[in-house]
Amino acid sequence: MAAIPNDVFFATIGELNARLVAKEFSAGELARAFSTRLEQLGPRYNALALGLAQPARKQAAAVDNDIKIGRLRGPLQGIPYGVKDLLSVANHITTWGAKPYATQAFDYNATVVEKLNGTGAVLTGKLSMVELAGGGGYRLASASLFGPGLNPWDVTRWSGGSSSGSAAAVAAGMVTFAIGSETSGSIVTPASFCGVTALRPTYGLVSRHGAMALSWTLDKLGPFAHSAEDCGHILQAIAGKDGKDPGSAGKSFYYTPQYARPMKDLKIGYAPVDFADRAEPSARAAFQAALTALRETGVQLVETKLPQFPYGAALSAILAGEEASIFEALIVSGKVNELADPSQIAGLKAALDLPARDYLKAMRLRRLIQEAYTKLFAEVDALVTTGRSGGAPKADQPLDGGPRSGAAPAAAAAPAAPTDPGFNGIIQAGNLAGLPALVLPCGFADNLPVALQLVGAPFAENTLLAMGTEFQRRTDWHRRRPAGL
Amino acid sequence: MKFTRRELATVLAPAAALAQTSTPPNPPSGGDAEVDAARARMKANGDTLAKHAVPMDTEPAFQFRA
Repeated sequence: MAAIPNDVFFATIGELNARLVAKEFSAGELARAFSTRLEQLGPRYNALALGLAQPARKQAAAVDNDIKIGRLRGPLQGIPYGVKDLLSVANHITTWGAKPYATQAFDYNATVVEKLNGTGAVLTGKLSMVELAGGGGYRLASASLFGPGLNPWDVTRWSGGSSSGSAAAVAAGMVTFAIGSETSGSIVTPASFCGVTALRPTYGLVSRHGAMALSWTLDKLGPFAHSAEDCGHILQAIAGKDGKDPGSAGKSFYYTPQYARPMKDLKIGYAPVDFADRAEPSARAAFQAALTALRETGVQLVETKLPQFPYGAALSAILAGEEASIFEALIVSGKVNELADPSQIAGLKAALDLPARDYLKAMRLRRLIQEAYTKLFAEVDALVTTGRSGGAPKADQPLDGGPRSGAAPAAAAAPAAPTDPGFNGIIQAGNLAGLPALVLPCGFADNLPVALQLVGAPFAENTLLAMGTEFQRRTDWHRRRPAGL
Repeated sequence: MKFTRRELATVLAPAAALAQTSTPPNPPSGGDAEVDAARARMKANGDTLAKHAVPMDTEPAFQFRA
């Protein structure tokens, strides 16, 4: 058996596929090496929900046979990947990260898994997540059946959530790419904290069939990978019309970097305060350097203001209304009390009482928000801000900065927020309007990764990916890896 | 007309049983500080939404098709 060199675990899809086709190693050897690494390293970061080494070996054997007879299926053929444990894989446990569902299994594959199987990609494992994707509201990193998601860059830090394992697995080279999900921040946050590239697609572009629903109108599935280019290849494979998903946009996606518009013709809206006063002090230098690198791609940065709406209240009302209906049986039966996070339990119980008036008001506001962003994207081609304002928080402290139950309050008051809101609310706004976002690692703050976030118009993923690829041609933050891995 | 207690029980029992099956039990409330706090946050969100006027002809961002 060929020894797999360590750099393979951090190779991009294109690099890895080329080496497979050149027969530097077989798909079977690759699958075995990645499966072993996932099973050894996954528990260190509480990233692994379920290893799938045996089925992966069978998939890899089929890939080797295909390569032998010259049946080449494209860049994802033979590439090891993982999926967030809210995606069903036929006849395997799918826990949704939550104790009440710890033994459930479905007899079908999620559409995304079926599509990736069709490309010859090799599924090596299911990856941990915050219980029920965190919709009830959670305060603790330990809000998961698998324990707190830990960050490969610093195991005392949180990996982010709710796609905790997906981000950590790519960051630590346990999989070449992973599929996660976002309702409100669950791709952007862990990608930012773990220093990996990730894409939240336009709502409806990727089928939700076979994925746990937290919110029918907010949920999206998207890739975590080592580069923007990789995200493009993955999105092409997983996007497309699906009659089994009532929210399907009915559109395909073709990754077409060859048709990218020149960067000098593109305008990106931004708010300088996001990279200065609104950023954590330790992260400001990295963010300023990233803005400089972005300017050097040739794009024009234009100071922009976001449309003003009560994004947080609107998203909370929609999420509460939909999740309470989805999980009504769980809440009413009392099994909700088996969840790990008291805030999550309380939030889900309270959500049953959401007035219809609030849900409908939020959904009407949502239409106005969509119209406002349609106007905004007539002026700029994308928006750029930070993924999060700084590096990952400590995993053993409340994530909202408040005291743990029974603990003394924080000693020092938080500094006053800047009066300029910048792009505050962009994560909620982007999710309310169904907009795509691309997360790009852009440096470090106190040795913890930080990232930029590009947000685009609906179905403008190729534009975001082109900007991201140009940025990554000029920088190498996306190729850095945690020490010792 | 006077009913005996047995006759009253016979009349009222099906109604009581129907009430129990058709109305889901209320989730625990009062005394559960975290749930009360969550409800308060939800109400505050609702108050925020109520302050934001929406033109009367704005429809919700979902559409039913037959």
